[in-house]
Amino acid sequence: MSSWEVKTIAQRAAEAMPESVLAGAGYVLLAVGFAAAFMALMGMALIYAERKVAAHFQCRLGPMRVGPHGIFQTVADTIKLLFKEDIVPSQSDKLLHLFAPYLSMMATLLALLVLPMSPVVQIADMNIGVLYVTAVTGFGVLGVLLAGWSSNNKWSLLGAMRAGAQIISYEVSATMALLVVVMFSGSMQLSKIVESQAEGWWIWRAPVIGLVSFVIFLIASLAEISRTPFDLPEGESELTAGFHTEYSGLRFAMFFLAEFINMFIVAGMAATLFLGGWMPFHIGGFDTFNSVMDLLPPGAWFSLKSGLVVFLIMWFRWTFPRLRVDQLMKLEWKILLPIGFVNLFAAAASVVFGWYFFPIR
Amino acid sequence: MVVSESNQVVAPPIQRGGFFSNLATGLKSLLKGMGITFHYFSRPSTVVTQQYPENRATLKMFDRYRMRLSLPHDENGFHKCTACTICEQACPNSSIRIVSRKGAVTNKTELDRFIWRMDSCTFCNACVVACPFSCLKMSGDFECSVYDKSLLVFNLTRYAGPTSTVLMKVTDPQERAKMWEPRDVYSGPVPLRGTAVPGGGRTLGAPEPVKASAPVAAPTPAPATAPAASATALAVEEEGGKK
Ligand code: SF4
Ligand code: SF4
Repeated sequence: MSSWEVKTIAQRAAEAMPESVLAGAGYVLLAVGFAAAFMALMGMALIYAERKVAAHFQCRLGPMRVGPHGIFQTVADTIKLLFKEDIVPSQSDKLLHLFAPYLSMMATLLALLVLPMSPVVQIADMNIGVLYVTAVTGFGVLGVLLAGWSSNNKWSLLGAMRAGAQIISYEVSATMALLVVVMFSGSMQLSKIVESQAEGWWIWRAPVIGLVSFVIFLIASLAEISRTPFDLPEGESELTAGFHTEYSGLRFAMFFLAEFINMFIVAGMAATLFLGGWMPFHIGGFDTFNSVMDLLPPGAWFSLKSGLVVFLIMWFRWTFPRLRVDQLMKLEWKILLPIGFVNLFAAAASVVFGWYFFPIR
Repeated sequence: MVVSESNQVVAPPIQRGGFFSNLATGLKSLLKGMGITFHYFSRPSTVVTQQYPENRATLKMFDRYRMRLSLPHDENGFHKCTACTICEQACPNSSIRIVSRKGAVTNKTELDRFIWRMDSCTFCNACVVACPFSCLKMSGDFECSVYDKSLLVFNLTRYAGPTSTVLMKVTDPQERAKMWEPRDVYSGPVPLRGTAVPGGGRTLGAPEPVKASAPVAAPTPAPATAPAASATALAVEEEGGKK
């Protein structure tokens, strides 16, 4: 079954390096270029998708003017943002103010590096992949906190404090849900986790437990990337624009882009961990069915799955109202965390006793 | 609404369940909300956005849309307004001014001009609701941009004279024609209560014009369809008013 050979760009670079430094450097450049281009293009595509989806949820049409069905609207907006004046408030902490968006962006970029999009489209594959993703996404809060603090603005600071409390709280639940998958697949390496789902995806192979941890992961990571209904750090009705109130031009665009790429990363991680990543839809033992499913290349499966989760996230955004700060904390500490704990124990038990479909060991 | 024994309205009791029932209700209501939003998402026919300049030829405004106030005239060209001024009193910001006169033939009060200031109208619909004869209607005609604010003061009636009911009782067209004279959108003095109006000549705080007893002099008919010409006419009349 596991006929997939995972070969990351980092591996290729390492292999090429001893023979020719140039080839190795070429792979490194390829990785850098891929990450940069991916962020820019994906950001634009996601913003366009978000606007269209939002519009249709609200009985509108969304962008329609720039290009057919407004497909060049975000390109135009990006160009506009690039040429806008970058205002740094005079009373701000200038160095931190300038530095914060990059920090935010860096967290996103670092997480993007390990996302397995297909057996060959993955920049690096670490043996501690899950831990790494948890660590670097937590990094993003630093950028948000710095932005809020250095802006010297009450809205910014309030938004940043909310973001800090929110992200740190929800990280616990998100990790709890991740651990379930780590236990089931017996590895933290993202490519191994994907390969462990060759017989079926964890969301259904571990009955109930998989679904529960998928939901917990989705909720908690929505809170981590502060998407609606958890957009308290930038709740525009309360805090103007939250932590990026004082940002404009390119630096604002960076926060904005980071936010949307984060959404993709959450979708990609959810797809990788629970929906089989680039692994086609397989049911252990049904070989004919599985080979039919293999007709679609892994990259397409990954795009489909992460696209689905992205749509789900947008759907949440345009349906659910924003939580209050106390409700936010209550949801995490009183509801998600207990359920996550129970779920974790249940997962441990079912791993030990093999109470799931197609046990690995 | 829950009413207690002492006849006071009290808030309905909040239903609080346990952890799991709350969770279930919460999830259920979230899913219900998602169902509603997906209903709209999956049906492009629910989109209400109009691609305005492109579909200008086919655009049909909605019944509830409120723009230019109109005093509909029937197939004979007569309206139903009795100049009762109820709409004028109902208007919260004095955007309506009814100028009435004593009918030449009937010797009864009849509408001379129905002046409506679009520049101060808030499209609140109060006049339409207030009219006891349902003569007013908010039309969907929204392309009202002009370069001169004074062109937003309209006269809505096309003739000075009694209502269609009175007019249609007179069967002889010759006799009927004696009962009314034409009015157009812009020409003539259009004073509104207490405000200076282009062509009006009266300023803030000036006394109320004598209404029915002294009919406003019928102006020379000006072309109704040429705003520029009308504006000139207004300017000329303002000169006359100052003398
Ligand atoms: S719509 Fe309201 S503001 Fe406008 S004329 Fe009628 S009553 Fe006055
Ligand atoms: S429009 Fe109606 S309310 Fe206004 S004066 Fe005429 S009849 Fe009276």
